[in-house]
Amino acid sequence: MCKVVHPVVPYQFETASEGEAVMETAGKVIRCKAAISRNPGEALVIEEIQVEPPKAWEVRIKILCTSLCHTDVTFWKISAGPAANFPRIFGHEAVGVVESVGEHVEEVKEGDLVLPVFQSNCGECRDCKSTKSNSCSKFIENEYHNTMPRDGTSRFRDKNGEVVHHFLFVSSFIEYTVVDVAHVVKISREIPIDRACLLSCGVSTGVGAASKVAAVEAGSTVAIFGLGAVGLAVAEGARLCQASKIIGVDLNPQKFELGKKFGLTDFINPASCGDKKISEVIKEMTDGGADYCFECVGLSSVMEDAFNSSRQIMDQGWGKTVIVGVEMHGSPISLHCYDILKGRSVCGTLFGGLSPKSDIPLLVNKYLNKELHLDGFITNEVRFQDINKAFELLHEGKSLRCIIWMDN
Amino acid sequence: MEKTAGKPIRCRAAICRAAGEPMVIEEVTVEPPQPHEARIRIICTSLCHSDIVFWKMKDPPSVFPKILGHEAIGVVESVGENVSQVSEGDRVIPVFLADCEECVDCKSRKSNLCSKHPFKVSPWTQRYATSRFKDLKGETIHHFLYVSSFSEFTVVDIVNLVKVDPAVPPNRACLLSCGVSTGVGAAWKKAKVEAGSTVAIFGLGSIGLAVAEGARLCGAARIIGIDVNHEKFEVGKKFGVTDFVNAKNCGDKPVSQVIIEMTNGGADYCFECVGLASLVHEAYASCRKGWGKTIVLGVDQPTSQLNLRSVEVLNSGKILTGALFGGLNAKSDVPILLKRYMDKELRLDEFITHEVKFKDINKAFDLLVEGKSLRCVIWMDNE
Repeated sequence: MCKVVHPVVPYQFETASEGEAVMETAGKVIRCKAAISRNPGEALVIEEIQVEPPKAWEVRIKILCTSLCHTDVTFWKISAGPAANFPRIFGHEAVGVVESVGEHVEEVKEGDLVLPVFQSNCGECRDCKSTKSNSCSKFIENEYHNTMPRDGTSRFRDKNGEVVHHFLFVSSFIEYTVVDVAHVVKISREIPIDRACLLSCGVSTGVGAASKVAAVEAGSTVAIFGLGAVGLAVAEGARLCQASKIIGVDLNPQKFELGKKFGLTDFINPASCGDKKISEVIKEMTDGGADYCFECVGLSSVMEDAFNSSRQIMDQGWGKTVIVGVEMHGSPISLHCYDILKGRSVCGTLFGGLSPKSDIPLLVNKYLNKELHLDGFITNEVRFQDINKAFELLHEGKSLRCIIWMDN
Repeated sequence: MEKTAGKPIRCRAAICRAAGEPMVIEEVTVEPPQPHEARIRIICTSLCHSDIVFWKMKDPPSVFPKILGHEAIGVVESVGENVSQVSEGDRVIPVFLADCEECVDCKSRKSNLCSKHPFKVSPWTQRYATSRFKDLKGETIHHFLYVSSFSEFTVVDIVNLVKVDPAVPPNRACLLSCGVSTGVGAAWKKAKVEAGSTVAIFGLGSIGLAVAEGARLCGAARIIGIDVNHEKFEVGKKFGVTDFVNAKNCGDKPVSQVIIEMTNGGADYCFECVGLASLVHEAYASCRKGWGKTIVLGVDQPTSQLNLRSVEVLNSGKILTGALFGGLNAKSDVPILLKRYMDKELRLDEFITHEVKFKDINKAFDLLVEGKSLRCVIWMDNE
């Protein structure tokens, strides 16, 4: 069988205008730089990667900037089992420009400013058409999200021709990536690109968790476990919903000052609670428990604490707990069956219950109208070659979002 | 007839003196109602499985001796001070879940959980942490769920009383005091089943069948009943069950897998109506991802644990919640359901499979424990 070999265009082919460069590379393999993770937990290495052109329903995107989300770190550390897929290109929070599109793609074109998102939104399936759910069911579930969603293959090869795995259907730690159109959201050029980048995952997730999944009402009390970027985005969402009390729970006392900028009214450091359980402290502060509790860490024990802090008096419960954090140890959340009978509820959410294509543009507008605050999330910036610094900063608890700028 | 208002009444009650032992009909003294209370002459009462749970329970919150029963209908004999909502002669239904109609929660249509009188499993009257019952030796007999209907007379707080139209036959109306309201409410108000939905009900006792009835009234397209007793299918059809899964006949497959296959991804709403944590897991697993809601109605042991896979909770977007009294606000919603019965929309008659006299109350327990009854109505003797 004759195998089609696409001519390779070396990356350093510069042209005068962006439009011409785009046309030159369309349909051809692009050679460009990527930060590859070859072994779990080890520093990423900048290498040359070959990126195939987009197939039908796919979009090749030139990444402008990307940011590190803790979910990247979680999967980067997994050393064994089916979730460990190396070598891999991590990164799933980013913003870019469409370089070329595959057949059948009409909703975006070359030159459009877009956000790649891990949450699919095909617009056609029963779930996408419903306002009640954002779990697009177009693609067969791929729990390990290490390939393109439609055909299960990779568009990346390293310089030895070996397959490099995708991550969360995005893979943004690379100069050019290929993303299925169901995972691409076109946005307005008015928003500064580093702010836009945040809406590709973390901030949207947190704001959505509060405003859509929990649907926090004005006057409610909210408790947020874990004040990383997602937890603070929940606070921002709760603030927009006019919650009366927004309690932040974190082991790092510095998070309180920071959190105040995002609407935190109270702060609890579990290490300073003495003999008392965190849930007892919260119940005292809120006269029975918080109306809405959010777990934004990814630990079952914290999920249980969050559940136990939700409003319940005697044998009846009102409180709703939303699980946002990604737990990868396989430990179960253990709850009292009775507490469910009494009325407390628990649910989880991916991407804050938001349908990317309809809801991200709304958040962009809220930012442009100065209702939604995004600036405070960006605490650091590095160049692509220094990407490992972003991992260090997050690991040391010193950053919220570190923007990683691609070279131009 | 001698005026009894303001004086203690001597009457008969079925007293539960030890866990799991038959009730003994004894004479008791029932004190007059305190402020905010009413003394009720019970017309008839029915046995609910929650009575059985607390009958068998040896440890707190179960206490002894006590008068069980919480699903009933009666007539107001006298009222205490500060009671204006009901008066002597009114037909009333006692409900274990308070509806004060004043607090934010009672006024809100989103919640039926009164914050002024939060529900708790208590051995006393609602407000005073005291009992109105004494046996002939003068020993205190405890209340149950603020109702204690296995007695010719009982004392109930006004927040636990719903005034109803006396035209409704009492042995139908009493069902709305707990079980049928809980089931119908769970579908109608808590889950808000939409027309065309698919519903799966685990456990086809009175509650489960009431959920089916509620789902039918909401226009559910498919109502799947799951039980280990095959006879429940025929019974279930009367209440709208369209498909039946016998949990014993699934072979190697877990029930949830059978349901997921039948519904092409899971049911929109799953209801657990038995009271077993293991079934709550099964119901949760049977629920469709994205918008699926699992509602727990069954009462398991207070210590039983649920263990959920956090990745599944995160990725599925499914909601797990429970409801007391089906999410209904007793005082506004019970009359609505009664009217729907009178208008021949809501079915109640088929829930009653047996009727006994008060002295034979233990027969009601036997029938339910043996799985032979749905609702057995217990008539007080002067009816």
